Amino acid sequence: MTQEMEFKKIIAQYCKVKPEEMTADMRFREDLGFSSLDFMSFLGELEDTFDVELEEEDALKVLTVGEALELLKKLQAEA
Amino acid sequence: MQDYYPLTAAQKMHHQWILNYKTQQVSGVSVVASLKAQLDFGLLKKCIQCEIERYGCMRVRFTKPDAKGEVRQYIVERDSRDIPIKDLSGMSMAEADNLMQQWAYETFDGDDIPLCDVTMVRLPEGYNGFFIHMDHRLIDSCGMVVMINDLMQLYTHYRFQSEYPADLADYEMVLEKDLKRAGNEKRFAKDKKFWDDQLDALGEPLYSDIQGPSVLEEARKRHGNKKLRAADIELKNLFVEVKDYLLEPEPTRNLMDFCMNHQLSMTNLLLLGIRTYLSKANDGQQDITIQNFISRRSTHDEWTSGGSRTIMFPCRTVIDPEMDFLSAAYEIQNVQNKIYMHSNYDPALIVEEMRKRYNTPENTTYESCYLTYQPMPVKMDNPHLVNIPQHAKWFANGAATKKMYLTVSHTEDGGMNFSYHYQTAHLEEHDMELLYYYMMRILFMGIAEPDMSIGEIMERV
Repeated sequence: MTQEMEFKKIIAQYCKVKPEEMTADMRFREDLGFSSLDFMSFLGELEDTFDVELEEEDALKVLTVGEALELLKKLQAEA
Repeated sequence: MQDYYPLTAAQKMHHQWILNYKTQQVSGVSVVASLKAQLDFGLLKKCIQCEIERYGCMRVRFTKPDAKGEVRQYIVERDSRDIPIKDLSGMSMAEADNLMQQWAYETFDGDDIPLCDVTMVRLPEGYNGFFIHMDHRLIDSCGMVVMINDLMQLYTHYRFQSEYPADLADYEMVLEKDLKRAGNEKRFAKDKKFWDDQLDALGEPLYSDIQGPSVLEEARKRHGNKKLRAADIELKNLFVEVKDYLLEPEPTRNLMDFCMNHQLSMTNLLLLGIRTYLSKANDGQQDITIQNFISRRSTHDEWTSGGSRTIMFPCRTVIDPEMDFLSAAYEIQNVQNKIYMHSNYDPALIVEEMRKRYNTPENTTYESCYLTYQPMPVKMDNPHLVNIPQHAKWFANGAATKKMYLTVSHTEDGGMNFSYHYQTAHLEEHDMELLYYYMMRILFMGIAEPDMSIGEIMERV
């Protein structure tokens, strides 16, 4: 399984959109129905799964699936 | 072989209240769900028994407490109990509600016993349904709503051949995941740092009471400490009264539109309303803490596994009276978002840290107000029942561990219900009237003029 698919599978646990139907421009709140709590819980799960540390201020700027994936890749590259 | 598990942080919170207040009554949660329709009680009984099989949290039991009062939980494989039926149809609805209120006061006393009672009821005015009484360590209100819907889906499946309800997540599997997450040392260190940093930055919190600064002054006299910043918790007289206020659909829509247009959550707007009132009632105090309950249900499994996932964290904000209403709302939202990210932490550890740092006396608190916002109505969301009138009601357990606990929920007509549970040892209905009145004045003035400063709003309301 690619990292992108693993990433989308995590998102899918929080919403009704299937990983294969998820696109980069989908917004967490408006398109996927995430609440603030859902989003913050999801970020925590990303940290645990991919062993990265998110800066809260950076994380709060993330609006779309694509932006979250980019941030994850950036953090992994820096690690 | 039977597996035994420690309690999660959310379960520990309720367990600790039972130990502190020396009664299981503080941990009771009860609801009646009924339909204005003839029900096949034989079939309903079968569905309730089936629900007990499906919803693992209904089969959770606790071991005998050890020397420290700690217990472990386990899930019994089978619970094939009979489900009794009670006929209250000869009463008025108010009398029936009163009787069920008495049932809600009952306690589950003993170890290794079921902590869940279900009774089928024939109610007045043609309503029929069931009353559920459980221990909060097993379930929270969201879990209860999920259960009621699942149960009625079972009923309509067998009665009307509708689709069989989708599988519910396994309680034990989700519990194991929660405990594993709580045991993650890296996460724990990060969460602890967040909460410790808040104390480093802001210092010791300062109590603010619904009734004004006199309450803290009295506590200072009682403890002989002029600098005390926490007030006493009521431990003896736990009797609680409930006062409900209904906000009509139109003003509710205005609040919701404001939230939507400004990307704010309703919880944060409500927190702003309460904290502004507390600031007003406490001579403009800027450092205010409110306990806010969070239901940690985000994933599908968390939503459908039952269990007690509601936990409270202190929402502490220091807001300058010059700050405008909208910025203050965003300030709270910012704090809350960070709290959400660290909500796996055990809030008992925050209290412990404060006791260590500030020598906070035993049985004192920094908060007088507790908030729960429930976006989910107690409604049987089932297409087969859509045109049938429903009667659903939560019953207070009658023993409050908190001075004032506000539950805000949505009503079927599009309004909102503000349900104030208050300890009668210290508060009267009039205090709740004032609180509701000022909360509404503050919120509606704020949403009408979001650029107005908090200080001006406090003066003008």
